[in-house]
Amino acid sequence: MSEYKVPEYSANWSEVEQGKWGIVVDQDLCTGCQACVVACAMENNISFVGEEDAGYGRSMHWIRIERFWEGEYPDITMTPFQPVMCQQCGHAPCEPVCPVFATVHSDAEQLNVQVYNRCIGTRYCANNCPYQVRTFNWRDWERPEPLDNQLNPDVTVRRRGVIEKCTFCVQRIRRAEEVAESEGREVYDGEIEPACAQACPADAIVFGRIDDPESRVSRMARDGRGVKLLEDLGTLPRVVYLKGGAGHGYSG
Amino acid sequence: MSDRISRREFLKLLGAGSAATAVLTGCGPASRYVVRKPYVSMPEYSYNGESTYFATTCRECPAGCGLVVRTMQGRAIKVEGNKNNPVNLGKTCARGQATLQGLYNPDRVQHPVKQGRGVTLSDQRMTWDSAVNVVADALRSTSASKVAFLLGLAPDHLFDLVSDLAKALGARPPIRFGALSMFEARASLRKATSQVFGREAMLYFDLAGAEVVFSFGANFLETWLSPVAYTRGFAEMRRGKAGRRGYLVQFEPRMSQTAATADEWIPIAPGTEGLVALALGRLIAEARGERVPAAYRDVDVEALAQMADVPVKKLEHLAQLFASVERSLAIPGGAALAQSNGVSAGEAILALNILADNLGKEGGVFFAPQAPLGAHHAPASPSEMLEFIQAMRNGEIEVLFVHGVNPLFELPQGLGFAEALQQVPLVISFASFPDETALQSDYIFPDHTGLESWGYQRVLTGTGKKVLSGMQPVVVPYYDTRSTVDVFLAAVKQVGGRVAEALPFADEVEYLQSRLLDLVKAEGGFFQAPEINTFFAQFQQYGGWWTREDALDAPSGSKVLDKPLKVDKPAYYGEGEFVLYPFVSPVLGEAGANKPWLQETPDPTTTVMWGTWVEMNPRTAEELGIQDDDVVQVTSIFGTIEAPVYRYPAIRPDVIAIPFGQGHVAYGRYAQGRGANPADLLGVTFNPAGDLTFAALKVRVEKTGKRRQLSRLEGRLGVYGFEK
Repeated sequence: MSEYKVPEYSANWSEVEQGKWGIVVDQDLCTGCQACVVACAMENNISFVGEEDAGYGRSMHWIRIERFWEGEYPDITMTPFQPVMCQQCGHAPCEPVCPVFATVHSDAEQLNVQVYNRCIGTRYCANNCPYQVRTFNWRDWERPEPLDNQLNPDVTVRRRGVIEKCTFCVQRIRRAEEVAESEGREVYDGEIEPACAQACPADAIVFGRIDDPESRVSRMARDGRGVKLLEDLGTLPRVVYLKGGAGHGYSG
Repeated sequence: MSDRISRREFLKLLGAGSAATAVLTGCGPASRYVVRKPYVSMPEYSYNGESTYFATTCRECPAGCGLVVRTMQGRAIKVEGNKNNPVNLGKTCARGQATLQGLYNPDRVQHPVKQGRGVTLSDQRMTWDSAVNVVADALRSTSASKVAFLLGLAPDHLFDLVSDLAKALGARPPIRFGALSMFEARASLRKATSQVFGREAMLYFDLAGAEVVFSFGANFLETWLSPVAYTRGFAEMRRGKAGRRGYLVQFEPRMSQTAATADEWIPIAPGTEGLVALALGRLIAEARGERVPAAYRDVDVEALAQMADVPVKKLEHLAQLFASVERSLAIPGGAALAQSNGVSAGEAILALNILADNLGKEGGVFFAPQAPLGAHHAPASPSEMLEFIQAMRNGEIEVLFVHGVNPLFELPQGLGFAEALQQVPLVISFASFPDETALQSDYIFPDHTGLESWGYQRVLTGTGKKVLSGMQPVVVPYYDTRSTVDVFLAAVKQVGGRVAEALPFADEVEYLQSRLLDLVKAEGGFFQAPEINTFFAQFQQYGGWWTREDALDAPSGSKVLDKPLKVDKPAYYGEGEFVLYPFVSPVLGEAGANKPWLQETPDPTTTVMWGTWVEMNPRTAEELGIQDDDVVQVTSIFGTIEAPVYRYPAIRPDVIAIPFGQGHVAYGRYAQGRGANPADLLGVTFNPAGDLTFAALKVRVEKTGKRRQLSRLEGRLGVYGFEK
């Protein structure tokens, strides 16, 4: 019996970390206007699902605005509006449960990426996400002509049976990085705006490098109001929320 | 072209004949008529993989925000804000973002049709030549006094052209109307402004510079006047532009999205906004330890507080806050003015600004700058609309042109527009979508949608600068539609005579350029151009023209505080146990219902999608045995609608609220047959300024026994525990 030798093979294409991206959401400024929600849908070719499926909780929003009630009339308040998108966790609970490595961590952008053509629709990741930001394509959602004319060619369309979620508009990150590289410079702070941050009329959503202590997000995140959602789970979220409702005269 | 040419000379020159035309078109017709085609025949300027961006103006509401639309291979891909435009500085709202779903809506009117007043869109296609003939015949064969033009709220170039046309014909000037102006009670605001500040002008509130803001039902973070601009102002206030984090207090019977964002929500009884302002006025003066001005000397704080159903202690606390800071501001909103006492309530609220001594100061009240290109007249108040409707009913109008407004949906049924429309022999609609009014017209000659159009629009408020926002097509018209301006110009040419002489323009762009001539020479613009073609190129590139400096006027210190201010008790009318509080849906606005992504965007406070709901206090609901999703019948003396209940924890027990925006019987597949229209409940009672007293109507609520589950983003567990 001849000895079978497994050929030695080593991949030599490891990615180089190019930046750790993060978002700061100032809940004191958020007015709940939903501009980010619609802007996200328009940028990322997100399907609408119709009244019935939306009622079943199958709507495809990559970002949603949460609000909770506290108290009872007349002493009732609404908690400050809270836009919730994928938190791009450093230790993401969605990643280890995927049997086909469809949701993985990108070393280059330090994001959780969803590889649609690997996804087989087990929905384990959605089940394991503590932030409930993953949405599943329960059908091939209808998009009658000529609505398809507005599809963004930078973002792939998804079909039935795959999970999708916020990407921090990775297509915009990549484009800005390529432009910067071709011009022989670094991406400057504020050059990249995801659709949500770009639209936000109150400028409550700010995007940037969290590994650069001088970036706008880093400076904002150092505000005493900063919290991360469900931080005690150890997920290392990349989104910082600045608590709202500070009261009259508060200064950071 | 000489830079000393005036608009009048320009017109003369044009009238003189071909020489002038050569001057005008000589410098590059190519730049004027760039064709933006889809990728099947890609335009020359387009590179694979590269986007082209065009600046234009949002047409989803009349605020006039600037857009930059990303196009690729001749298709519009994404709407972004124009960072240069002083109104929105690069930002957009949800409705602006969804404007592409209007452009690429599957239910557009795709070509001119002989509609013949049906319930569905007619399939009798017409050519544009015959369409122009119809318009020309109508103008030629009808006596001018019986021709009427009904336009939307946007103060745009179409309004200018139709005004010129009406004048040349000798017809009545065009009427502008929209549900937004009705719900904002603009006529009352104007009247109160003129009585307090002595000028009938639009006001500009410098939210950004204020420290304490009292808003009396002004939903400026939703749809009020210029929501993107005021949201920016609000954010700057919260960031503490004035030195410390700003504080917003909202007085209204139902917690709106604006009130939810506010620091305090004071649930006062409907129609008592003016009374609260009076009580606050007295308390503020007292808190400062000043002599109480004559305006508040007879004010009985206890009695007013009781009527408004708010503790005196609360008012005292708020007055203390208002008085203790340097920059405080009071804003009157639509529902506060849509009352029998609306005008005097508006005066009392505006008077707080005199007390705060903020007129013309940072964080205070200003007159909004006069928009460029001369004055425009204000939109019609609902009572003026009623006069117009009566004229229609009496057969005084034989030809009605409708553009940019859908009165069958937007006007209260009680005004009787539907019956009056039957009395008009010829109705011609220019709607881009098969809305209710378009279907009830004899002809539909569809205009382009906003992103396919040329034009300009005046900005009425929202910035300190004088702004004329520019529009240009970002894509080639998708369907066989034609600009309404071009239709009128072509028709006028056929009519000939005096009217044709008054409007001697080859097309819409020539008309725009003739209007913009005034600005070429105007001082203070942020760009300068020696002649019109260069000017027009920059106008397109930047998305409009505006002044470099603010042009805000300070309202003069009037003597309002020297004589007693009086606000009557609110007079509710109708019968029933609830006061109805209709509000414009923050997401849909007045015309967003045909855009599927707006339908699926949750309402900010209830998270309901795709439907209409009735907001009711949970305790009231419990007393009536009503659960979430129970369908109730809401009846006023004018009409009845049915909708499921949403038990809304932040509404007064004696008030129900219903959003306006749904309830279409036409308007395409996403809008039709969905929800209910609260305008069907509204009646015909006006306040002295001619505004509808829509927030003072009493209604009855009855269970129907039916249930219909509302689609909503929030779970059904949580707030009230498990559903029974």
